Amino acid sequence: MKTWQKLHGNPRLWERYFVRENVIQKIRNFFLREQFHEIETPLLIAHPPAESYLDIFETTLLDRNRKSTKAYLSTSPEVLLKKLMVAGLGNCYALTKSFRNMETQSDLHNPEFTILEWYRIGANYMDIMKDCEDLLRAIAGKNVITYQGKRISLSKPWERLTVADAFYTWAGIHFDEFFKDATRIAKKKGYNTNNATWEQLYNQIFLNEVEPRLGRGKPTILYEFPAAMGALARKKESDPRFAERFEFYIEGLELGDCYSELTDWKEQQERFERELRELRRLGKTVYEYDYDFIDALKVGLPTCSGIAIGVDRLVMLFADVTRIQDTLLFPLDEMFA
Amino acid sequence: MSTITTAQFKKGMFIEFKDEPHLITDMQFVNPGKGSAFVRTKLKSLKSGKVQEFTFKSGESAQELPIATREMQYLYKEGDDYVFMDNFSFEQCTISAAMLGDFIKYLKPNDAYQVLMFDEDAVGIRFPKKVWLKVTEADEGAKGNTVSGATKTVVLETGAVVTVPLFIKTGDTVGIDPENGAYLERG
Repeated sequence: MKTWQKLHGNPRLWERYFVRENVIQKIRNFFLREQFHEIETPLLIAHPPAESYLDIFETTLLDRNRKSTKAYLSTSPEVLLKKLMVAGLGNCYALTKSFRNMETQSDLHNPEFTILEWYRIGANYMDIMKDCEDLLRAIAGKNVITYQGKRISLSKPWERLTVADAFYTWAGIHFDEFFKDATRIAKKKGYNTNNATWEQLYNQIFLNEVEPRLGRGKPTILYEFPAAMGALARKKESDPRFAERFEFYIEGLELGDCYSELTDWKEQQERFERELRELRRLGKTVYEYDYDFIDALKVGLPTCSGIAIGVDRLVMLFADVTRIQDTLLFPLDEMFA
Repeated sequence: MSTITTAQFKKGMFIEFKDEPHLITDMQFVNPGKGSAFVRTKLKSLKSGKVQEFTFKSGESAQELPIATREMQYLYKEGDDYVFMDNFSFEQCTISAAMLGDFIKYLKPNDAYQVLMFDEDAVGIRFPKKVWLKVTEADEGAKGNTVSGATKTVVLETGAVVTVPLFIKTGDTVGIDPENGAYLERG
């Protein structure tokens, strides 16, 4: 049965869909008070940033003579907001749709989703952690919320846990050893390590043993990721094995992903080249990356930090549902059934 | 036993996990980024009925377990166990509520079902695509200021409560999808 049919038969269901407009209103009020500009960025773009782990939606732009050019749907407003910060925009945010292909069959993903990204000039990721604490409390309007029968305290400060500490606490792993000996450690724990890369073992242990324990009873900010998992973030000065990246979780739900931003154009270009090679190797859609973005970085992106938040997941939290589809009036799997 | 990869995983499939037979009751894709893809599964132990979650690397191999089916007739419920009988051998077996899951809502005494057998043990039922059940309680009209919609809830002969179109009356037989309790058609 389609959602509109369910709503027709059970009008009380509307309530959970009305949570979305409330969350969005509170987000806009928050940034109005913080004096951030809201920017609308195009969803139809010419050059997506090269990210080998994302699958892009491709379409065709026709001119008046039906001459066609490949065009793409944006996976994030990041690159365009950064160009504007180079131009002098200052603190800013975008609250818009993003598109990521091949993200079906998941309770937490819809290939078209609502994203909130904001950037603070002169800030690092520690400052953005405080923004998250303030934003969630502003949306909730109170310090305690309930999700799936569990009481969650949003009071500051939230739990802050480094990846190394999280791996030690929940998986019993000493991260210094894990850098060198991941295969042996994973095998001892009973994981299949055949042909597995370091990143795969890191993620598998994280998903099975660490992630389910995060954000229980109060939000967890998981920070200082291994550099390999934060290639676009500034490396930690005192320990370059780690990068200035954090994610925050509430009741096992990953809600946001933040970096102290990379401003070096050479590193960014190298990263794009590596990603393109990886796209080719994986047989995914290959495209020219945004040279204009590299040019902007050459002019100079001010020191800044930014975060992307899955707004649909925020809505899930406040509507008390466990499936992203239950926050969407027209979920993809109903349209394409 | 045949070796498969996560690409072939399906809900309802039986695999060996930690050296014991398990049923895949749910699966989701997870992409933590950096080229890695994972498959998060809910696995029900055939021995204990307990469900645990495990996230596999995409492409990881697993052993699929051979499951045979045997047509058996459902007789009655005894506590938390459901008793079935093979109509040819008259052998009886029981399946626990834990192994039947949601299907207990649709079991009709004396109807035949495809019972799943693993190593001579009955471990569950292959859900048919449709179950035909009679409506025993249906509201005939609007009560007070109820908003009229295209659907209403009714009770079936097994006690299951389902949502059906307004034109369904008490005594009608309806076809229901046991996977999700959705109304399919009127008999």
